[in-house]
Formats: sequence, structure tokens, C-alpha cells
Amino acid sequence: MSVVARMLDRAPRPGSAEGLRVLSASGQLGNGVPEPALKAGLARNPHVIGCDMGSVDPGPAYLGAGRMATSETVTRRDLRLVIHGARQVGVPLLIGSAGTAGAAPHVQQVLAMIRAIAKEDGLSLKVAVIHADIDAAWLKGMVASQRVRAIGAAIPPLTAEEIDASAHIVGQMGTEAFLRALALEPDIILAGRACDTAIFAAVPLLLGYPAGPATHMAKIIECTSLCCVPGGRDAMLGTLQGDGFELESMNPARAATPVSVAAHSLYEQADPLAVQEPDGTLHVAAARFEALDARRVRVSGATWEEARQPTIKLEGAAWCGERAVCLAATADPSVIANRDLITEGVATLVREILGPVEYDLRFRSYGAGASVLFPGAATGIADPGEVFFLIEAIAPTADIAKAVVGVAKQAMLHFGFPGRLSTGGNLAFPFTPPEIVAGPAYRFSVYHVTECDDLASAFPVELVTVAG
Amino acid sequence: MADAQSRRLVDLAQVIRSKNAGPLHLTLDIMFPDAASYGLAVQSPALSRDAIARLYNVRAETVEVIPFAAANAIKVVMDRPVIAGSPGDTDVYGAQQHRPLLGITL
Repeated sequence: MSVVARMLDRAPRPGSAEGLRVLSASGQLGNGVPEPALKAGLARNPHVIGCDMGSVDPGPAYLGAGRMATSETVTRRDLRLVIHGARQVGVPLLIGSAGTAGAAPHVQQVLAMIRAIAKEDGLSLKVAVIHADIDAAWLKGMVASQRVRAIGAAIPPLTAEEIDASAHIVGQMGTEAFLRALALEPDIILAGRACDTAIFAAVPLLLGYPAGPATHMAKIIECTSLCCVPGGRDAMLGTLQGDGFELESMNPARAATPVSVAAHSLYEQADPLAVQEPDGTLHVAAARFEALDARRVRVSGATWEEARQPTIKLEGAAWCGERAVCLAATADPSVIANRDLITEGVATLVREILGPVEYDLRFRSYGAGASVLFPGAATGIADPGEVFFLIEAIAPTADIAKAVVGVAKQAMLHFGFPGRLSTGGNLAFPFTPPEIVAGPAYRFSVYHVTECDDLASAFPVELVTVAG
Repeated sequence: MADAQSRRLVDLAQVIRSKNAGPLHLTLDIMFPDAASYGLAVQSPALSRDAIARLYNVRAETVEVIPFAAANAIKVVMDRPVIAGSPGDTDVYGAQQHRPLLGITL
């Protein structure tokens, strides 16, 4: 009997006093799953285990380059823990946003790790792989028929050129894709880019639980114990009764309180009261948060509004050059006071030397507001006593990028300015060489929403058997 | 608690944080320990849309202030001037953009 069939057999349906136990083992699989809390969660005999593996937070490089943000060693450790955990209790394991960004190379890397674990540990596993790569030709058609819109003002409307420029474009799949994968009765679902909620809401929906509370619970537990005080990465148990759910961290030191759980709705969310999913919107304005005891909360009242038109949130990243940096600092008050004049002068000198080559040169003056995102914001940062310069170049080749920061470094070291005393050199280098080739640079080229009339063809499922 | 000494936001709030909500938006969360301090903050002109826009030197149309009573919290959503991680970005996670709030008096 498959673990899915067994789950369907034994899992309580809506209205039962027992409730459906959904264990969130990790909100960032690959960063180190705390083992004691996972074990405590397994001891509660969950009906399904979910893990989120991805995020858009670490920036465009991972999606663009097809690399994972987490280390191979820890990712493999975490995968092994949850695979054996799910087998121990005999339940399906759902993994979403494989390998950080959830594009084809990320999915393949994680699948290869699962394969290696199966081989090393002598396991036979059925893995339903759900692909999240968006077909460029289809997407261009959607752009042409004006069915794609930007998610924010910072990105221009999507064009066919930007689609072609993108190294990878993924769509965030919803519960629809997970439900199709569950129908294949796998041991593991390995999904490409997925809505965090879909990982944890799919099984409740399969069992007939109402989408409002199921999605709300999923939204909270996808970050494991981050909704607790103190917040953390320990496994979180959600017990869904139908009209509401109970939350409990599997680390006894972490408490879910009505305020801590409500506050979590704010986290990384542009609108705390409405969460957009591919097939509808979760409304949490009417949610009630009640303490069951000092560290458990019951939540109810969220509602679900079915979308008339299904949509997919798209993420794409494009290569924009090779990056090199140079690290240097100054403690000289005159250099600090004249830093803008110096960097502008250096930029001119670099342009004279490099000639009509395409590059992007940037001086970041740390200690003097280099981390400020909004120019002119009232930060109150005072005149610094010491400044760290990060000289950055992005150019078509690593050689050019390195040449740009190298020339800039030398010009800045000896740049003359009125009142200069530091004729031995304007800069202190922490080590040599201070120039570092930093690898390919990427940017988010796609962060849009497309309408989609056929979610099933956007996210195809493939059943793979891996055996030891 | 509402005397002159304790109307500084850093003294009243429990959490003052910033973070991206996706690569195109930055959010500021200001969380208060109780309904009283939250109430004070919600009514304060210092946390109005216009005041936040002035503080960050951006247009008011790019700022949204969302009070969230259930968590004794106020959320601010702003358009990022640079897409997270693109050339010229200064803070990929957007986690260090709360500093202008630290100087506010309600």
C-alpha cells in the first residue's frame, strides 16, 4: 500500500476532534534542520510532512546560474533526515521550490541527491517531480495578448526580449500541481518553484478541508517556528480541524502566542490581510487568534476567495555581466571628506584608460551610507571616522571587470586632490590582491503575473523511481 | 507611558524591522508590545504616509501604510528604487532599511 493510500485511509476528515496533523519540517531545507524538533514532530505521528526549500530572497544569482544557495553537504544531510523521517512514520514527504530557485537545474540537483541517498541507504522511492519552468514561446504569446502584468513599479512591463534574455523563468505552482502529483501515489513530491502554501495545503484540500483555514495554516507553518517567540527554525506542527487549526512548535522553548502568530502574517508580505495564490485569495482580516495555553494557539476565521481567472507568479533572472570587486579603506579625514570628488575623478581616469569598452563601475563608501537603499533618506548617519570602499565593476567579461577595478584601485590609491597630505597612498588594503573576481552577475528580469487557462500543462508531473 | 520622554518610537516599539516583500517591494514592520502603544502610533502623524515618504525621500504614491491591530503592528510597503539584487542595489534582502524610523518621535 502506498503512503498516500495509507494516509487517505487513516487521516481524519474535516470535523473530527482528532484533526489532521501537518508537520512542517523545514522552511529552508538545506540550511540545517534542527534534529530534536524534527524527532519530536515525528513522535506526534503526523499525516504528512512538508518542507520548503526555496525563496526569492537571496537574489537573482541562484535562479540565473542554476545554483543552490545552500551547501551540498547540509542539503544532503537535511534531505536524508526528512526522507528517513517520512519513511519512519510512513507518510508522504512534500518538498517545494527544490534547490532554492526551483528551475530545472535545481530540481535535477536535488533529485540527484535523493538518488544518491536512496543508493547509499538502500531505499526504493517513488518521486513525483513537478516542473516549474515556463515555456518561453507560451509566455511570449501571453505577453502579446496582454495577459501579463508587473507585480510592482520597480520592473517594466514584460517583453519578448526580456524573456529571451532570461537564463531561467519559473512559475510558482499552487495546490493544483501537488494534487496531480499526489494522485500518482509517490513517496516524495519534489516540486520546482512552488507557492510556500501549496506544499502544506495540498493534502488538507485532498481530504476535503476548507481552503481558508487550510491555506492560512499553510501560510503560517511554511516558515516552521518563525511565528513563535523566540522565533526559530524548529519543526512546527499544525493540526487542522476544519474551521480552524492549532499551532505548536516542536521545540518546547518556542511559544506560539496570539500576537506572535498574528504578527507573522506581516512577514515578507506586501498585504498582511490578503495572500494571492494561483487559484484564489486568502483573506485573513477576520482571523481570530486564541491562546490554548502558554505555547499553543488556535486560529480560525480565514476565508478563501476562488479566482475567476487562475494566474501564475513568474520569476526570471538574466545574466548581466561578470563582476569584479576591489576592497579598500581609508582613515584619512581629507580622503573621507573628498571621497565624492576622488571617486568621480577616478571614474574619469578609468574611462580614459579603458576606452570605449562597455562596463559599469560603482564605488560604495561603507561607513558613509552605502547600505542606504533610498537616496536622501533621513538616516542620520554622521560623518564617518573611517570608510570602507567597495569598488565594483560589471563588464561583459571577467577580464574587463578585473581590469576596471584594477585601474580604479591604482588611480584611487594615488589620486591627487586639494589639501591632500596622504601622498604615500589614499587607501589601506586589507590583503593582496585586493581585486577579486566575483563571478557572473544576474538581475531579476521577470517578476510578473501571467494569467493561465491551463495550470496542468504549465506544471507537468513526472514519476521517477529511485532505488538503492 | 505616553509622557514626553517615552514618545520616541525606539522606546515604544518592540520590533522595528525592514525586509523585502518580493524583489520589487520593501516593507517596514513596526510592532508594539500592547494595544495602548499601538493606538498611540496609529494616530500619530509621524507614521502617516506623507511623513514616511518625507523620511525616505520618496513620493507618497509609492508608500502604503497598513495598520494591523491583531498584531499591534503597523506595516509600511514601499516600491524599491532598485530591483533586489540588480546592479546598484545596496541591500539584497532589504533588511537594513529601518534606520530612518529609529529617529521618529510620535
